[in-house]
Amino acid sequence: MTLWLLVAAVVVAAVFLRRFRRWLASMAGAVWILVVLTVMSLLGVMIGQNLPPDAYVDRYGQVLGSLIYRSGLSDIFTSWYFLLSAAVLAVSLVACSFGRLRKLATARGRGRASRVGSLLLHLSMVVILAGGVVTAVFGFRYPAPVYLAAGEEMEVQEGGFTIRVDAASTEFTEEGMISEYFSDVVVIEDGDEVLSHRIEVNEPLIHNGVGLYQHEMLPSATSVREVLFGIVVRTEDGESPLTTITVPFNEEFEVPGTDISLKVLEFLADFTYDIESRTASLVSLSHRNPAVLVRMSEAGSVIDERWVFADVQTHRDDAGLPCRIFLFNYLPDYERGLTRFELSHQPGTPLLFAGFAAMSLGLCLTFWTRTGRKDADGSGVRSKTGSDPG
Amino acid sequence: MQGGIDMLLFWVAFWCYLAATLGASVYAGTRKDGVRTAVFYVTLLGFASNTGALIARSVLSGHPPVTNLFEYLSFFAWAIVLGFLFIWRKKGLELLTAFAATIAFAMMVMASLFPADVSRQLIPALQSYWLWIHVSLAILAEAAFAVAFVASLMCLMGDKRGHRRLPDRNLLDSIAYRAIGIGFPLFTVGALFAGAVWAQRAWGTPWSWDPKETSSLIVWLVYAIYLHVRRTRRGSIALTSGLSVLGFTLTILTILGSRFLGGLHSYG
Repeated sequence: MTLWLLVAAVVVAAVFLRRFRRWLASMAGAVWILVVLTVMSLLGVMIGQNLPPDAYVDRYGQVLGSLIYRSGLSDIFTSWYFLLSAAVLAVSLVACSFGRLRKLATARGRGRASRVGSLLLHLSMVVILAGGVVTAVFGFRYPAPVYLAAGEEMEVQEGGFTIRVDAASTEFTEEGMISEYFSDVVVIEDGDEVLSHRIEVNEPLIHNGVGLYQHEMLPSATSVREVLFGIVVRTEDGESPLTTITVPFNEEFEVPGTDISLKVLEFLADFTYDIESRTASLVSLSHRNPAVLVRMSEAGSVIDERWVFADVQTHRDDAGLPCRIFLFNYLPDYERGLTRFELSHQPGTPLLFAGFAAMSLGLCLTFWTRTGRKDADGSGVRSKTGSDPG
Repeated sequence: MQGGIDMLLFWVAFWCYLAATLGASVYAGTRKDGVRTAVFYVTLLGFASNTGALIARSVLSGHPPVTNLFEYLSFFAWAIVLGFLFIWRKKGLELLTAFAATIAFAMMVMASLFPADVSRQLIPALQSYWLWIHVSLAILAEAAFAVAFVASLMCLMGDKRGHRRLPDRNLLDSIAYRAIGIGFPLFTVGALFAGAVWAQRAWGTPWSWDPKETSSLIVWLVYAIYLHVRRTRRGSIALTSGLSVLGFTLTILTILGSRFLGGLHSYG
């Protein structure tokens, strides 16, 4: 789709080129194209991009909201009119570069460096835009982030390999701040382990042109290290004061001074319950509605098993039980965490970076050489170069 | 960590810039050389304190002082004064340079509104040498835009009121152009290119149309328009000055924007 739009844009631009050649190559043309791109970018920032349709209706009302969504303003940077403007910019840059080339051929002496710089500056923009097009057409980026736990594998079809995560961990400082996320991965091709690599933030793995980039790490959504419960024990004289106990995950824990023991069997970070199948499961990987499945025993025999929630005060009939428990807090399990990768293939990036390098050189020559600086010096240039190509 | 030597020096710089701002107003009214000299020394004292505060903070935190808005804006104030110090002795710009501390003071006021906590530990995404390259070049570029902004603002004021006491408009216009001639390449290389190279390494894509990226592009486009307009006969001083003022206004919105617009650049 994008490709066709771009082809169409270039064809349209080429048709108009004959007619508007002068305008496109002129400074005035350049200024107007830049103004159009600026206004569209401003709209993009102000409106907010790629939100769900309802968000625009909420924000701007029914009429304007749905108009924004339908006209493509909600995804303006891939809209046909933005891409067309970028294509027109590219054509304008090429057109004005011809003029620059002609002037360069006749330029002598000290003005040459600045003219070469200016030409390089404008042509490098075309290279940068071309880099963007190459990535848009031939590249890809996984739309949703990929979460993997240690031991899990994932096939990366586009790169023709599979990755296995051997370890995914978060390192903390003594003060408890996150210092690093890392994932030890093994690359498997045709059943053979060909490479093992530690991926960190800013230290990606790039294999067969596909990059795996470390984003954040989530604590496990199905296990915790330990759980902090509030507990009130029922005695013959009534209820004991509320105290707290720390129960390790999946280990039998005897409540001090009683013959009650508790075991945390399961943890779900975002709990939901399906009534028909009578099963509990995860809604998402975030810790939005945490719950623990607790088994209670008295004098060695199991008397109860129930889900306990962090933010629900009311308890299912626990009148017959020897104690009441409340889920106060828990220590997340980062060792069995979920590593989040961003996967992408950006074949236009080398072109983009080559354009950056050329443009940097062009900028230095244009603005920072002796002749370039001379150009910067005020009124002389202002009046003399009015007919320069844009 | 609050209230350490870095904060003491920050506040010294803050009050010095305020004093210099008041001094500049007195100078604007009286045009006494003695007042301008006093403004210069107070600005210089503020600059020294600002430098000390940034160094102290770097030592305390173990990383360059560019990781939250407080640090960014106080570094920005420092860079703005540095920019003005380069043209301090230039004839005919006495009034322009006297107001160096004013815009730096505005940045210090904004800085003081944000949390100044020192964190020794950088979040994983910021642990890269690109942090230093990307952010410091962007700050230097924006400081050059600030110098251009003050010059352009004076141009516009002179335009409206026909002020004889303001510096020569052509000179102001030339200063603004030179400043943008320094700022524009720095901004292109530092904010956009270095940012894209880092983003490719950290996020897997050089460009994400993140609000801060897009608004930086808008700033770049506005200054590109400025440069083109200024080279044509049609570009009057009023128009180019207006574009320079618009460019800097958008620069400030870009700096503060990530706080309100969210996106990948919301670090604090």
